[in-house]
Amino acid sequence: MTNEPNILVIDDEPKIQRAIRTILTEKGFKVTTASNGEEGLTLAAVNEPDIIILDLGLPDMDGVEVCARLREWSQCPIIILSVRDSEHDKVAALDKGADDYLTKPFGIEELLARVRVTLRHSAGRKDTQSKLIKAGAITIDLVWHKVNRGEEEIKLTGTEYKLLGYLATNHGRVLTHQSILTHVWGSADADHTEYLRVYMRQLRKKLEADPERPQYLLTEPGIGYRFNSDG
Amino acid sequence: MLAIGLIALITAIFLSLRELLDTTLIGLLYLIPIGLITAFLGLGPGITCAVITFLTLNYFFIPPYYTLAVHRPSDVVILVVFLVVAVVISQLVGRLQSGLLAANAREREATQLYELSIALTGLHNEHAIAQILAKQVYAVSQGEYVELNITDGKPFSFHLPETKTPTRVPEFRVPIQTTRGVLGKILLWKANMAGSPGEMRLLETFASQGGLALERARLAQAESRALILEESDNLKSILLSSVSHELRTPLSTIKAAASSLRGNEVSWDSPARAELIAAIDDEADHLNMLVGNLLDMSRIESGALKPKREWNILSEIVGSVLGRMRHSTEEHKLEIDVPESLPFVPVDYVQIEQVFTNLVSNSLKYAPQNSVIHIQANFEGDAIHVQVSNQGPQVPPEHLERIFDKFYRITAADRVTGTGLGLSICKGIIEAHGGRIWAENVPDGFAFNFTLPLTWDGALPPQLPMDTETE
Repeated sequence: MTNEPNILVIDDEPKIQRAIRTILTEKGFKVTTASNGEEGLTLAAVNEPDIIILDLGLPDMDGVEVCARLREWSQCPIIILSVRDSEHDKVAALDKGADDYLTKPFGIEELLARVRVTLRHSAGRKDTQSKLIKAGAITIDLVWHKVNRGEEEIKLTGTEYKLLGYLATNHGRVLTHQSILTHVWGSADADHTEYLRVYMRQLRKKLEADPERPQYLLTEPGIGYRFNSDG
Repeated sequence: MLAIGLIALITAIFLSLRELLDTTLIGLLYLIPIGLITAFLGLGPGITCAVITFLTLNYFFIPPYYTLAVHRPSDVVILVVFLVVAVVISQLVGRLQSGLLAANAREREATQLYELSIALTGLHNEHAIAQILAKQVYAVSQGEYVELNITDGKPFSFHLPETKTPTRVPEFRVPIQTTRGVLGKILLWKANMAGSPGEMRLLETFASQGGLALERARLAQAESRALILEESDNLKSILLSSVSHELRTPLSTIKAAASSLRGNEVSWDSPARAELIAAIDDEADHLNMLVGNLLDMSRIESGALKPKREWNILSEIVGSVLGRMRHSTEEHKLEIDVPESLPFVPVDYVQIEQVFTNLVSNSLKYAPQNSVIHIQANFEGDAIHVQVSNQGPQVPPEHLERIFDKFYRITAADRVTGTGLGLSICKGIIEAHGGRIWAENVPDGFAFNFTLPLTWDGALPPQLPMDTETE
């Protein structure tokens, strides 16, 4: 990339700010920091960052609220970085528009990986939605509703295709049970996680080399699923 | 009526003897029944009787007979003296009598109160106290119905007889009062009694005795709560000391590694350097895991660990655990026997995943290299039974129960890495799901077992609508 990506870090902990800034700057990113929600929202509007890294426990407002307010006018990818590790908190933030969630303490490799995936994904979103999604040997053709492993076509049922299509267009992102169920089955069935479990199992059997240890269709325990196109 | 009959009888006897007896003597003799009547029937009948006798004396015995007229002045004197004496006697006797009655009543009250306080002695249960109080009020008042309402604190009420319910408002209503306010009230239904002052007083005394007993019971409860708190405080400090031990161990490794790296004692390219860095990373992870386990433990103990149940596929959970642990399980042989055909289980995905993670990593720690770790599940009746067995050393029977206790270790602590909380967390999670967990020795090693109920609020696992469309 010619322009170095601009990252906004909203975290009230000076030590975390310093650590992230040092490492990300070294890796060639431009880093701005904010230590509370208001400041973060202002900087997000002024700087138009490429990624926002957001803590949930901010002194002036809850991070989930910052997330919701950002989403009112911005599509900038948001990665949550928080000590809160309950699935409830993760689901709340993801449902309010966060793209990814990382729990503190975190490994810096992990953070960098998530940042790269998010950047790639948002780049993909910008250039008119790619019509063909590749993940290892798997190719998903969104126009012709076709799924191939190498040359061989994989037959999917309507619901299976709908599910795979939704996950694949959001590859790299964690999708909550609720959002998948609403999108694929409609809001009336948003509580029936068992549908999701059964169809995921079927999809894995058709797509994965080892369905018990999936490479592409990953479970995010207690939260939802993620399509990993790097598998 | 009895009084009038008696007078009539005596009058008839006297009438037959009129010629033999002197008028004055008859008057004197008449005083005897008046005294008796007053003594047995009370002051009112006594006075009435005196007046009636006065009239009969005049009518039958003072000439001219059968009129109320009096001719001789001496007869007038006799009549007047008779009336005065009769009234005075009946009053004196009457007063004596009512004094006796009052004394009797007081004695009875004292006995009843004594019985009540004996019955209430040593009771610390509010319900038992209320029950006894209601019973005593019912027995003593001889009312139709008694109800006792405790309104302070946890409200409850008690009534006698249990088969009946009154249809009108109670005649008596007495508050149960203590120094700290009104605790409740006693209601008494007793129609034919307007409530003598004595009876009211007795009810009030009963109420205050009951109030005292209730207050005493509450104080005793507060005291035992304080004792429990003190006890759990002790437990906390024991826990705290083991926790600080567990925390210090990884911290010392980190400190030692970081300070030696900083002090330039290790050359930049030596393999020792990489080792020290890896140690810092590992121990930081270990510390993080310990903190996470402690949080889980405190959630379990405070009852805040509420499983977020969903219908899950057990084989998916096991698969995802083993996928995550594949690096640490490389040195063992895993045999998985969790059929996909098992019904859905109503469990919290993340929590059950943690149970499997903890049981497997515990097995990895003790079982020898290249030995088999076997996970199997089957369903028996309305529960799923899971067994995680390994070919590690057997555990002495006396430890089998206690290995689920916090920080409980069979071997010396420094030989094994871990938080000492893994198994107690498993126990907390399984029990929060309504299941049971236990450990046992099996012929070629050691096994953990747990059960998970298949019903969720009485509902059975769903049968799924299958996708029949093809494309």
